Amino acid sequence: MTDYNAMGDEDFRREVRGFVEREYPPPLRFILQRARWHEMKGWWTKLHARGWIAPNWPREHGGMGLDAGKMLIYMEEFERHGCARPPDQGITQVGPLILRFGTQAQKDYYLPRTLSGECIWCQGYSEPNAGSDLASLQTAAVIEGEQFVINGQKIWTSLADDATHIYLLVRTDKSAKKQQGISFLLVDMKTPGITLRPIVNLAGHGEFCQVFFDDVRVPRDALLGQMNDGWTVAKALLGFERLGIGSPRRPQYALRRLEAVARAKGLLDDPGFADRFIALKLDIEDGAALYGRFVEQVKRGEALGQDVSMLKIWTMETWQRLTELLIEAGAEQGVIAGAQDVAGVETDFLSPFYYSRPATIYGGSSEIQRNILAKYVLKLPS
Amino acid sequence: MPAMTVSTEHRVLLAQSVADFAARGTDIARVRKLRGTAAEYDRAVWKQMADLGWLGVLVPEQYGGLGLGLAEMAIVAKGLARTLAPEPLTGAAVLAATALVASDNEALKRRELPRLAAGESLPALAWQEAPGVLDAAVPGCVATAFEGGFRLNGTKRFIAGSAQADAFIVSARAGDELVVLWVPRAAAGARLELETLADGRAFGTLELKDVLVPGTHVAAKGRTAAAAVELAFDHANAIAAAELAGVMERALEMTVDYLKTRVQFGKPIGSFQALQHRAVDLHIHQEVAGAVLGESLAALDRGPDARARAAIASRVKARCADAALKITRETIQLHGGIGFTDEYDAGLYLKRAMTLAAWLGGATWHRRRYADLTVGAKADGGAR
Repeated sequence: MTDYNAMGDEDFRREVRGFVEREYPPPLRFILQRARWHEMKGWWTKLHARGWIAPNWPREHGGMGLDAGKMLIYMEEFERHGCARPPDQGITQVGPLILRFGTQAQKDYYLPRTLSGECIWCQGYSEPNAGSDLASLQTAAVIEGEQFVINGQKIWTSLADDATHIYLLVRTDKSAKKQQGISFLLVDMKTPGITLRPIVNLAGHGEFCQVFFDDVRVPRDALLGQMNDGWTVAKALLGFERLGIGSPRRPQYALRRLEAVARAKGLLDDPGFADRFIALKLDIEDGAALYGRFVEQVKRGEALGQDVSMLKIWTMETWQRLTELLIEAGAEQGVIAGAQDVAGVETDFLSPFYYSRPATIYGGSSEIQRNILAKYVLKLPS
Repeated sequence: MPAMTVSTEHRVLLAQSVADFAARGTDIARVRKLRGTAAEYDRAVWKQMADLGWLGVLVPEQYGGLGLGLAEMAIVAKGLARTLAPEPLTGAAVLAATALVASDNEALKRRELPRLAAGESLPALAWQEAPGVLDAAVPGCVATAFEGGFRLNGTKRFIAGSAQADAFIVSARAGDELVVLWVPRAAAGARLELETLADGRAFGTLELKDVLVPGTHVAAKGRTAAAAVELAFDHANAIAAAELAGVMERALEMTVDYLKTRVQFGKPIGSFQALQHRAVDLHIHQEVAGAVLGESLAALDRGPDARARAAIASRVKARCADAALKITRETIQLHGGIGFTDEYDAGLYLKRAMTLAAWLGGATWHRRRYADLTVGAKADGGAR
């Protein structure tokens, strides 16, 4: 097994870049919608065969065991090449939690299968009445003999129809205070009583689902971590995820399209447009400076604090404004569905706009992020 | 622990000296007293700043300075800006000093740079002539060859720190090339008038009528002269950005403190989400500006070529100007009525941010120059 951390940064970067350029399927570069499993299966298998599917996992569990600096290089090279995210929540989310909180039997069963793609995970957190206020969730699991019996529903479950398994937050003690009566369960999607309703988003794609649980019976060993301690398990995730979400490379596609369209149409000669364009371009570049500061922190081995919330707010809100100007730059063509030819530049105006909309909603809405910053960073009273 | 690098050591000492000075060497009463006066600032305080080494941060060691970089200068400028001290640190110790350092009249440099660093002589760079015109290359001031030197005619405007300046470093057109000339304040034919700025400091207008400049006072000519003014302009913008960072930081501290203590409807107003979110947005703008400032100073200290340098300077000035203006304007709003009074300090920060933002090019101007340099967009008003 290669110790990638012993490699020089530039050697490692070259190796990652070479691999993604050689092996990543070109039609899937810079796609905007979430990639589906049937599209990504081949790429997943190649990564898995090379031992590269789980850069963040320890080597003894089949990961690459990358340190923070190498991890960032890995992410940067994937983003640079426009690699789509496969249904990777098993790798990025629940896998590390199983590693940390799981029993030996859970580790032995789930970890290899998650790496191979046999287990594809989706996340069952949000509910119709528990969005930003996640801790008010009502989906309940009651112990009957050796089983949990689950009833309730989850929503905004991305790629649930691709998933073989779901990790769930459920209420297991109704008398306890909000966060304290919640447990974390690992559930096979084939369990009787689970039904799906795909939800079509504004872009016209069925990326997420509503998931219904009617007397779904799962064994007691579906519990990850301690009973009624699921909130602690779920919260253990957040740091690196928020750094990834705030990556300034995310709005790059829209920025490049906007610049190409602006040149093709001569819009940069219009001082009004040029002023708005350069202000947005600088918002992206200056956000990258902020990102760089958090990256340095991660590289020094320091934990990310609550202040990282500002990165998601800045990047996502800038991305949205960028896609708004892209629509405006397209004029009438900006609202025609599908790719448009603008003076020889092939551009999809609407998709970037649509896909930037939920960016300020998922993963903690901009308003929740602002609440976090007000409370923990500015220490304003509640 | 690894040994501190020389620059880390300098940074720690400079940060300490500026914190000490902020605590004991200046206060807001002094700032208020000097507002709108003909003196504008205090030469005794200026001398203290020299003794602390601040005025020589950018002056090479062989000319009596510390020979450090912009990152070090920014520590002083930012810390000092928090106090609103009116002394023209950026105007004299960056803008004028850099123009002189980058000139090639060795004798003049050997005589004047040590005096500048020691606070004995305070020069001001007189290069601009019309509002919003920031192209160094084509001044209207004319230098006509005369007895081995020049006869100088024209008017310079918006000169920072000029009230008690001892000399002016004046750019002028000599035929088809640029010259940079050293003009003592007492030179016959030179007349200075002051215009009071929003923050109580002043811009000087320098009228030059048949001012005779001996050959020994020609600081630089031609390409060297133009490059000296351009370098000074870019570096002064970066340090003005550091000043803006200090201003916004202090204003936001005041605002957040006020939100925590001001009670209305029986609660501290900082518990209201509408105000919390506004404060958070200001904090984010401050942090983005701080990140860009840090990145830009490090990049400038690596000595990029003129084009890259101009882009970096414009980027950081635009970001810090916009952030400081936003924060200081909202400082007034978030304080309510008290924020609109002269007796409360919030307005002083707003006014300093406004004058710093307007000086050496505002945010829109700098973004256009940045676009010119990086995107190749055709934007009016940008220097090439």
